[in-house]
Amino acid sequence: MNENAIELKGVSKTFRDFWLRPTVKAVDGLDMTVRKGEVFGLLGPNGSGKSTTIKIILGLLTPSAGSVTLFGLPPKSVEARNRLGYLPELSYLHPFLTARETLMYYAGLCGLDRRVSRERTDELLDMIGLSDVAKRPVGGFSKGMARRVALASALVGRPELLILDEPTSGLDPVSTNEVKTLVKTLAKGGMTILTTSHLLADAGDMCDRVMILDRGKTAAEGWMDELGTSLEKFFLAKVGEGRDFKIAPFLLEAGGES
Amino acid sequence: MKAFLEIVRLELRRLSRSKALAALAAVSLVWMFAFPHFVKSDGTVTGARELYVHFSLGGVFVICLVALAASAAGSLSHERAQKRLQLTAVRPVRIFTLALARSAALTLAGALVLALSAAVLAFNVDLSRPCDKVLSPVMESPRAEAEKMYDYYMASPETPDDVKKAKKSVVLRLLTQRAFDNYMSIPAGDTASWTFDAPEEGELAVRLRFTNDFETRQDVVGEFRLGSRNGVMTNITQAVVRVPLSERGGAAAGERGVLNFRNNGDAGLMLRPRRDINLLVKADSFGWNVVRAYLELVSILALTISFGVFLGAGLGRSVAVFTMVSVIFVSVASSDIIELYPDQLEKDSKDSVGLAITRTVERMTRPAVSFRPLAALAADERVEPREVASALAVDLVAFPFVLSLLSAFAIVRKQE
Repeated sequence: MNENAIELKGVSKTFRDFWLRPTVKAVDGLDMTVRKGEVFGLLGPNGSGKSTTIKIILGLLTPSAGSVTLFGLPPKSVEARNRLGYLPELSYLHPFLTARETLMYYAGLCGLDRRVSRERTDELLDMIGLSDVAKRPVGGFSKGMARRVALASALVGRPELLILDEPTSGLDPVSTNEVKTLVKTLAKGGMTILTTSHLLADAGDMCDRVMILDRGKTAAEGWMDELGTSLEKFFLAKVGEGRDFKIAPFLLEAGGES
Repeated sequence: MKAFLEIVRLELRRLSRSKALAALAAVSLVWMFAFPHFVKSDGTVTGARELYVHFSLGGVFVICLVALAASAAGSLSHERAQKRLQLTAVRPVRIFTLALARSAALTLAGALVLALSAAVLAFNVDLSRPCDKVLSPVMESPRAEAEKMYDYYMASPETPDDVKKAKKSVVLRLLTQRAFDNYMSIPAGDTASWTFDAPEEGELAVRLRFTNDFETRQDVVGEFRLGSRNGVMTNITQAVVRVPLSERGGAAAGERGVLNFRNNGDAGLMLRPRRDINLLVKADSFGWNVVRAYLELVSILALTISFGVFLGAGLGRSVAVFTMVSVIFVSVASSDIIELYPDQLEKDSKDSVGLAITRTVERMTRPAVSFRPLAALAADERVEPREVASALAVDLVAFPFVLSLLSAFAIVRKQE
């Protein structure tokens, strides 16, 4: 019986150009374990390798070295994907489908029969507060509404592992709060959640444990209640130090010609 | 299977909500109804019907082929560029299923439009009119004939020096092409014979075609005999002549399967046996022929669309669409290029390479662009069930399956 939902051992990913010459090493010897039932935050500055790591976990990228398993299964296997839900950073919905059709489509991809798909779609539309506009094409939705539809479509297969890439991006404070409540509720129900976020306050509210990536390597890892400081301070201490930020001198000049 | 059907439904929704399917159907219907009003036939009812059948359904087929193949090439690459593809790729669905379902949906859309056009055709043409199974004389292959001719041809003082200097393979290829057009002469009062795999039962007829004006102006007088049947031909000025063969009653049966023609006219007759003479066996009706032609056209559509999906899996949208349209154009033009290219002896190595590429494209794409079922349908020739079965097995099933596997491989590689 595997107790870990996600297991990465010595994972590296080097991107190559057309001639197979290495260009960027996005992830470098990463070890990471996400236990079943926990909310795990993968944090890091831009270009730290978070998205690459997520794509490796999702099976969209093959690691150059190391191994990845989801519930002890290869991430590209249909069995692993049956247990997975994913919310990407941008919603990427089919603009010509209505909200209802979008959820029915993803339910169908999960192999659910029509009756179950309809029931779950109704419940999810109710949950995200879009029942009234269920028959409108999502192409006309605001960013926040589209985000909620994308989140619902990640949940329609009732996954055991939910991967959220910037889940609160584009949401207003009320919706952000609702997402955080939802994550906590799902976690209480036993769902494992891996989330990335630039908004450290949101990550701090949602996560049980965090890992901070910097330049493709683990900069720090720990339980939220053992950090001994705020997540923001912890983060800046781990990746902010040593960065020499200089303001362009011309911006400091008063007035001046354009 | 559920995932497959969901993706098919999604693609059909995309086509219908973008109005592409409606536009395709509208253009096809306009073409079907408008065509007879602006095209003039040779003035005969048969000629008008042949033109209508060939070019109305043919036009719709070409419209569907180009539009749906371009759509196939564009949609997958667009979805990948928009990153929507990754949302499907992380679901419990094989990428192969995604590519195959995409091809199936577009083929289904094309099949619907073609069915609509075939229905209009059925409305305008008598479905009960008969069609014939067409038999050609049993002869050695043109290639074998060319090989036999080669030494004689190269030794002949009339053969140009340029040809004598050319490579054997090039000369053999030219001789093979010409073998299709080799004439035989039947002097006045003589009898010529051809062997056919003719059935013993059924309504039989002989079809003679005269493809140049000089021959059609001559009166051809003669008698055909096949087994215990005969047919008389006289005073003909048409380009295509059909001579029914009926039982002679009491006469001694000739050799089975051998068709004899005695030239009873005053002048000799020139015929190309591989092109100009056929035995026609009455088969079934035009209605059934439409069904068979339809199935074959849909199969060709499926093959082309799968290739488009494959291009879209590996290339960017504009490059994939451009490549797809170019491939269709080169495929259609390739047989003319090969036949009419000025340097037939391939004296220049660049010509040789170019022709080799064109021949390869022509050979590979021949099934998709030969439009053979349309020509047969127009001429009341039976679209052979064996051809249809082969098209269904290869073009509708095997090739899309293989191309979907290759598409899946390309998508995975592209993600990396």
